[in-house]
Amino acid sequence: MINRRHFLTTVAIGTASAAALAACGTGSTTAGETGSAENPVTITYTWWGNDDRAERTRKAIALFEEKNKDIKVNGNFTDFPGYWQKRATEAAGGGLPDVMQWDLSYLRDYGQRNQLLDLGTVNINTDAFDKSLLPSGQIRGKTYGIPTSTNAFAVYYDPAKLASLGIAEPDGTWTYDEYNSFLTEVGSKGNGTIFGGTDYTSVWWMFNIWLRQNNIEAFTEDGKLGFTKDDLKKWWNTVSDLRGTPAIVSEERVTQLAPKSPFGSNVTATEVTWDNFMAGYLADSGAKELKLVPVPSDDPDNLGLFLKPSMLMVASAKTKYKDAAARFIDFMVNDPEVGEIFKTSRGVPASKTQRDGTTFEGTDKLVVDYEKSIEKYLKDAPEPPIVGFGTLEASFKRISADLNYGKVDVNGAADAWFKEAEDLIKQNA
Amino acid sequence: MTQSPTLSKRSSSSAPSQPRKSRQRGADARAGYTFLLPWLLGFIALTVGPMISSLYLSFTNYNLFEAPEWIGLDNYITLFQDERFLQSVGVTVSYVVFGTPLKLAAALAIAMLLNSKRKGQGFYRSAFYAPSLIGASVSIAIVWKAIFGDAGPVDQGLSFFGINLGGWVGNPSMTMPMFVLLTVWQFGAPMVIFLAGLKQIPADLYEAASMDGAGPVRKFFNITWPMLSPVIFFNLLMETIHAFQIFASAYIISNGEGGPAGSTLFYTLYLYLRGFSDFRMGYASAMAWLLVIVVGIITLIFFKTSKSWVHYSGDSK
Repeated sequence: MINRRHFLTTVAIGTASAAALAACGTGSTTAGETGSAENPVTITYTWWGNDDRAERTRKAIALFEEKNKDIKVNGNFTDFPGYWQKRATEAAGGGLPDVMQWDLSYLRDYGQRNQLLDLGTVNINTDAFDKSLLPSGQIRGKTYGIPTSTNAFAVYYDPAKLASLGIAEPDGTWTYDEYNSFLTEVGSKGNGTIFGGTDYTSVWWMFNIWLRQNNIEAFTEDGKLGFTKDDLKKWWNTVSDLRGTPAIVSEERVTQLAPKSPFGSNVTATEVTWDNFMAGYLADSGAKELKLVPVPSDDPDNLGLFLKPSMLMVASAKTKYKDAAARFIDFMVNDPEVGEIFKTSRGVPASKTQRDGTTFEGTDKLVVDYEKSIEKYLKDAPEPPIVGFGTLEASFKRISADLNYGKVDVNGAADAWFKEAEDLIKQNA
Repeated sequence: MTQSPTLSKRSSSSAPSQPRKSRQRGADARAGYTFLLPWLLGFIALTVGPMISSLYLSFTNYNLFEAPEWIGLDNYITLFQDERFLQSVGVTVSYVVFGTPLKLAAALAIAMLLNSKRKGQGFYRSAFYAPSLIGASVSIAIVWKAIFGDAGPVDQGLSFFGINLGGWVGNPSMTMPMFVLLTVWQFGAPMVIFLAGLKQIPADLYEAASMDGAGPVRKFFNITWPMLSPVIFFNLLMETIHAFQIFASAYIISNGEGGPAGSTLFYTLYLYLRGFSDFRMGYASAMAWLLVIVVGIITLIFFKTSKSWVHYSGDSK
């Protein structure tokens, strides 16, 4: 997600499609085909992420294979946007990998359309999970995804950069105006080399948090938009004075730096995003230490924050190896040693067994402590959003970028997004 | 182009009057089709079949997972109200209009240089052809992205001359020149065809022209251009059709998103995004068919206008 590795895309297409072909067909028994130590079955597993996650995942797979001699796991990965295009292609051909890392944004698209295995029909232990979190993997009473971990929104900052600019570290209680002036100060002192941050209004989830701070639900229960065009205009106008100034890094730079983020590239001093990006940011930027504080809010008692499953584990509805898939998922979400491997890079482990079995030190501890510190502000985890939400999320980002390029003004941007959103909701109704 | 008239002439003169030869011809045809069979099967199963189903899908609402639902011409109508679709048409047309002529000009210029007698021409021909062998590959798109990125060689080179454009990749007004350069650089395939065409031009024509005192410019416009016109026409047609289909490099350089600010949202890229990111395969199919129709019309126009400027040898015109 942070590190888009597009050059791996093509390599992965080949392997993924070959693997997918091999995974075609449906199981004859409820457990599916099973293997033995002499003749193991091979399941395919795919995830998105950067090199760091790939390395950790390979370790976890090796550990799983060691403990389960009758199962081999064939893994491969891509970056986040390419990930969904490939899954769509595979799903259309009936060849999704057996087990997949999944995102809340796409759970309805596939779950509601019978592409994912109902995990209630297989044996996965969810006793150690917080009961308020599990519904975010469920649609209409069926469990399609098990959360591996949770993440929450936060403002990252680099204390070393702030010190070098002679700016005091934030204490984490700020209004939008205060955060904006902070960005402006960093930008003006940064002298063209360090910018305040990226345009935080371009991130859908931050908008969602702002809506919650104003007691507005993003989507109504019948799958329509719960906010108005004026709400969106107001949101995008929050930083209208900052666009084009050093408070916000230019969209040109953001595009140039991709697949790395500006924050990971040491171009900005702050970033508003999910707290589990810590490991990736540290690896990308080489910074000794990065810190987390809560997002701005104009209502100090309502930060609009929530714990979201940072990712879920799902299985293909057509897997031949239901039993092996279930055991792998159970292992990935519950095993304490897996927690030790991933630390907080997937988010804070959702299963208490895994969380308690993991030692969090240094920056990992910061992430865990951050989620503890905001506990009193947390609200219910969001349900899986509407069908097609992934597309809406992507177009939110794209139209925000157009805004920063000066291709549209806020009114035009809001019109464009609403047109796409209404069209999509009508399409999927 | 030159073979088909000869074939039909032979068949019309020999077939009707002599039944023995006709039987022979029937056997020949059977053998011919038998040898063609593997290719024909592949063509029907992998090209014609999918094309017919995509034609059907273009009249439906199809999300890849559920059964398609017939909606008539809705997709085609919605297309023209879709701003991103219109943007993708604009991007693609400007790429075709700028990229193709420049590429052909480069190919012809290099072919003419390589046509002269000089030591080591074999080496130069391979060297100039190499970019088009690797140019369409994924790795080159990645290299291109690095070359034109922030602090990449192009940025540094231009800065040396006091031109500070920054990286081209993130600048919406510089991405099109970057793609045009990428395609111009892959001039190898039309160049080889031009070179073959140049070799066919009889040397005595140039000798005669020299005797009459014609300079190189005059020779080019009065000998090379008309003699080469069938080859130019062929290359123009193929490269135009090819340019409409640009996908891989755009996908890689823009991270599959068509950015920055939609400036690399090529037609096929938008088609792909509609189909595989937004799950609107019916809509994407409609786009695909519209492209087939438009390219077909353009080809037709090319053939119609070619009569006035393409000269085939033995032609009385």
